[in-house]
Amino acid sequence: MSFLNLSCIEYAYPQQGKVVDGVSLELKPGEIHCLVGRSGCGKTTVLKLAAGLLRPLKGEIRLQQLKVTEPKIEMGFVFQSPTLLNWLSVLDNVLLPISLHRTITSTDHAHATRLLEQMGLTEKTDHRPHHLSGGQQSRVAIARALITQPQILFMDEPFASLDAITREELQSEFLNICKAQGTAALFVTHDMNEAVYLADQVSLMHKGRIESQLHIDLDRPRPNRVRYTPHFNALCEKLQRNMESLT
Amino acid sequence: MIQPALFRSTLLGLAFLIFWEAVVRLTHTSVLVLPAPTVILESLWRGLTNGFLWPHMAQTLSEVVLGLALGSSMGFLGGLVVGQSKKWRTLLMPFIVTSQVVPKLALAPLFIVWFGFGILPTVVMTALICFFPLLENTSTSMQQVDPHQLELFQMLRANAWQTLWRLKLPSGLPGIMAGLRVAVVLAWVGAVVGEFIGSGKGLGALIIAAQGSMDTPLMFAVLSIITALGLLFYKICEYLEHHLLTTYTTLSERTPHEPI
Repeated sequence: MSFLNLSCIEYAYPQQGKVVDGVSLELKPGEIHCLVGRSGCGKTTVLKLAAGLLRPLKGEIRLQQLKVTEPKIEMGFVFQSPTLLNWLSVLDNVLLPISLHRTITSTDHAHATRLLEQMGLTEKTDHRPHHLSGGQQSRVAIARALITQPQILFMDEPFASLDAITREELQSEFLNICKAQGTAALFVTHDMNEAVYLADQVSLMHKGRIESQLHIDLDRPRPNRVRYTPHFNALCEKLQRNMESLT
Repeated sequence: MIQPALFRSTLLGLAFLIFWEAVVRLTHTSVLVLPAPTVILESLWRGLTNGFLWPHMAQTLSEVVLGLALGSSMGFLGGLVVGQSKKWRTLLMPFIVTSQVVPKLALAPLFIVWFGFGILPTVVMTALICFFPLLENTSTSMQQVDPHQLELFQMLRANAWQTLWRLKLPSGLPGIMAGLRVAVVLAWVGAVVGEFIGSGKGLGALIIAAQGSMDTPLMFAVLSIITALGLLFYKICEYLEHHLLTTYTTLSERTPHEPI
């Protein structure tokens, strides 16, 4: 049974050609699906369509069999830029998704504090976002997406602005959180390594279409050393070759 | 402790006053043209102690406060409407711009016909002058909200009111407060010039009266009162801005703590 289902989605921005042209994909519960491709191939648009931020011109999106026409409570979204609110403290930024719908309880407070601790930001809870480094801001944005315990996460290159070591740490942390909460994820990236490390399934996009899919048969949990195995490298190479063949 | 910068500014101001005093005394300038600071101070002191100036100050102060409150609140609300909806913007903007191109001081004689010689015509004119900076700044701030943050609020299923109160207003606050600062300065211009034209009471009227009786020290005394009050208003506005910007609604009930 599929959890998230996109069937034959088409989308065009006004005064531009089609950016998404007949995309279909399917996520099982708890599955991590990566969308890779060059800049401008339409992967972010697919993500926004799946999250209900945009309405498709053709085709339909279903989450747990229900048609998606707008963002739903089960969803969490991490944008390309952290988009934190500068006039709120880090803790209040994390609590924002809850505070928009009900009053904050002490349980929420504890939950937010725990998430920030997981992200290594314990000492920053009372700071304003502009006092944080870029990487720290990205982590606050991730904590904000996790506070509602979403069943599906939409991630738009959330680690792109981080240094290599922090990126690898957060990738492992992300896998742990998804596993612990059974969260499915649709993850946009242009980093082949990241895609292979995170995903169960990788879809390669080119000019608004999904050109090929690759099943990642690495065992879980995936410790960091899996990145240095021949099989991992072979998968990366295959993905890279598929991408190069598209130009 | 006085800050060194403030100390230096005070010193410079004092030096200027001493220079002024010296020039007037040495060149024997007529008191009708340029009275010395001590003469002005004397006139000011006399006016304040015998109670002559107070009713005029009260009159102008109430005109400024009423006009500012009326004009800036209308401007703020108008700015919200115009900033929120493109439909209203395209419909109303030509009229708003036209109304602002008309020199408002030229309307004073008309206001006297409509509202008589009391406080009302000056209040209306002050309000008209304060209206535009708030409207313009509020509507611009509403439209300049980061599209990514709007997308975030859409994703978090916030309704239009929440998007206004929790996102657009706090993020537009610096712009709106800048509009208020301009309005506070313009309000004094509006009130004083309004009194020039059609009032027997108030600081502006007093300047005209002092000119008629060739009492130049009194003119300067009134000018210094207007300047001091204008500065006071500007400072209050700055304080308000600082206060709002640093302690704007925190969600969790803790004392906000700003690290340095």
